[in-house]
Amino acid sequence: MGDIESENQNIENKIKELARNLLREKEVDVIIGYKKGTVPLSSSPVFITREEDVDKLLWNNLCYVNLANYLAPRIPTLYDEEGQKLKVGIVAKGCVGRALIHLAVENQINLENIKMIGISCNGIINRKRIEKEIGEKEILETSILGNNIIVKGRDFEKTFPFDEYMNELCKVCKVKSPPNVVDSCVGECLENPVIEDDFNDISDFESKTSEEKWAYIKDTLSACTRCYACREVCPMCYCNLCFVDQNKPIWFGKTTDFTDIFAFHFNRAMHLAGRCVACGACSSVCPMGIDLNIITRKLEKIVKERYNFTSGMDKETLPPMMSFSMDDNQEFMLEED
Amino acid sequence: MEVMILMKDQVAKLYDELSGEYNFFAPVKEKGYVAYRKISNPKEIELNYFNSKIPPKEILFPQMEVLFEFKTDGKNVIEIEDRKDLDEKNILFGIRPCDAHSFDLLEKFFAFGDFQDEIFLKKRENSLIIGIGCNSPKSTCFCTSVEGHPFQKDDMDIFLVDLGDKYLVEGISDKGNNLIQQLSWLSKASKADTIKAKELAKKAEDLITTKLDLTNTSQILESNFGNEIWKEVSENCLGCGSCTFLCPTCTCFDVIDENDQYENRGRRIRIWDTCQFCLYTLHTSGHNPRDNNIERCRNRILHKFSYYPLNYDLIGCVGCGRCIQVCPVNNDLRTIINKINNIKPKEEENVSV
Repeated sequence: MGDIESENQNIENKIKELARNLLREKEVDVIIGYKKGTVPLSSSPVFITREEDVDKLLWNNLCYVNLANYLAPRIPTLYDEEGQKLKVGIVAKGCVGRALIHLAVENQINLENIKMIGISCNGIINRKRIEKEIGEKEILETSILGNNIIVKGRDFEKTFPFDEYMNELCKVCKVKSPPNVVDSCVGECLENPVIEDDFNDISDFESKTSEEKWAYIKDTLSACTRCYACREVCPMCYCNLCFVDQNKPIWFGKTTDFTDIFAFHFNRAMHLAGRCVACGACSSVCPMGIDLNIITRKLEKIVKERYNFTSGMDKETLPPMMSFSMDDNQEFMLEED
Repeated sequence: MEVMILMKDQVAKLYDELSGEYNFFAPVKEKGYVAYRKISNPKEIELNYFNSKIPPKEILFPQMEVLFEFKTDGKNVIEIEDRKDLDEKNILFGIRPCDAHSFDLLEKFFAFGDFQDEIFLKKRENSLIIGIGCNSPKSTCFCTSVEGHPFQKDDMDIFLVDLGDKYLVEGISDKGNNLIQQLSWLSKASKADTIKAKELAKKAEDLITTKLDLTNTSQILESNFGNEIWKEVSENCLGCGSCTFLCPTCTCFDVIDENDQYENRGRRIRIWDTCQFCLYTLHTSGHNPRDNNIERCRNRILHKFSYYPLNYDLIGCVGCGRCIQVCPVNNDLRTIINKINNIKPKEEENVSV
């Protein structure tokens, strides 16, 4: 394997080949994958049902949506005319595979109806960071050349090293391919990736004082318009009625006062403890460019340290919020006198 | 009315002269994007920008707005306090032509039939728009397809053209002309300046590459409520509100009473709502006529390209392209419109559902 550019080409070709076979052999009714976006720095989830459309499928480092989201029960697209659930093939980078496994653990999907086209993901571009750094110039074209991201506009061209301009979560990702999917997996796919993690990437944040942390959170979240793109793109946010939409009576304030914004994001974070698969889709899609990766990583670290659990790795281990053990670390409980 | 010149380094002077009488809203850069904010220092003004991330509709129709406040005796409302700031005068500086046009569309909605929204309409009346032509529209801009133009000035009070180190200043409305007269220090524009402005207008128009044919779209939509394409159009939609919240013409809102029981007071607020959310049009009975993505996606398109033409004889889209840029799954409005335009006439007879 060579650089990112050739890796992408190789992955894309294999995805097409596997997808074509799955449709031809009628092993699946539909393939969920990515197609080219109509604007730079984007891609678009696509549903392919005919062999001749397979060439629309794409792999590059802008495939940021977690496709497992389309299998979560609240999205009703995947039924045929008789209302039968379709057999689905899905292009699965590591975090998509993890999300599918975790959804199965939570009894939301049946993995037997799902065929993963696994890929060893080489990382997703931090599109919001690039947009911010380019500023008030229009990006007209982006491409990967070797190991660099090339961004072009009417009167400029800029090069960004891919390693540095990946999503922060991708930089520390240990699960690049879907766990336990080796036979139909493209690239170097591990059956059980080792997930030792030092969480050094958030040590700067952790060393801040409470006041500094609060200032950071406030600065990060205050741009939120509460469009809920983060929630809607999240494969784990599948509730029929989100806590924040409860209105008989209203549970949470609906305004853009910071208190209400904060209440939404932190309650959502609580609900993702031991469930978030660190795909980073929430940050990739935020129209206001809010980066939630610090919250995600902190959450991951707490769950790892307290319960030695990483979400979406296997179907057997019950997540800490779905199980109780007498050994659970519960030093936060108040003791009786 | 004579055409004047405002040097770019005189924008601060303009602010100083007007900020006593007016709330001065202008584009500012924050967190990597541009937004219109009430400024207190002319240095905050960002003059180099395409357009704002959040449309300037939020100046007159903010995402969260207090309609009135009230006091209670613990049980009943005993006093209502109305808004006192509605007579304040506003300058909206640096508005792009598409957004200036959106104010007219908003006004149509807030003054529809017997329902006059006093809060919006008063603020609108007390606002003076100083717009700026777009010298370099984006590739996602399509104002020329929706009866607009990067140099359209009809919807503004004063129209500026960016000539590099200075602005050409043209009074459009009486309000605008009066203000220009008040600014006696503006210099007169030369013939070369007006010629340059015309050249820039032509150049800007040529830069708009997105062309949508909307001649028959509203007619096609009227007879294709049950068409199969809505399933296709909504297939990958996530149901978030980014397209509608950042749309300059979306007007839907929700009204909520907030009570502070301990202090015996409360407020009635309105907040932006969107047809993409699950609570939108949810009846008390639990029934929702738009209870899935297909119906919600269709509603957004119908509202802009069918209901607006039917109710107001105007297209409900100003072609700013914001929804195209922000959609998380790149569900491109241009593609949707082209799909609608390509519905074959035979299929049009299929008016089911």
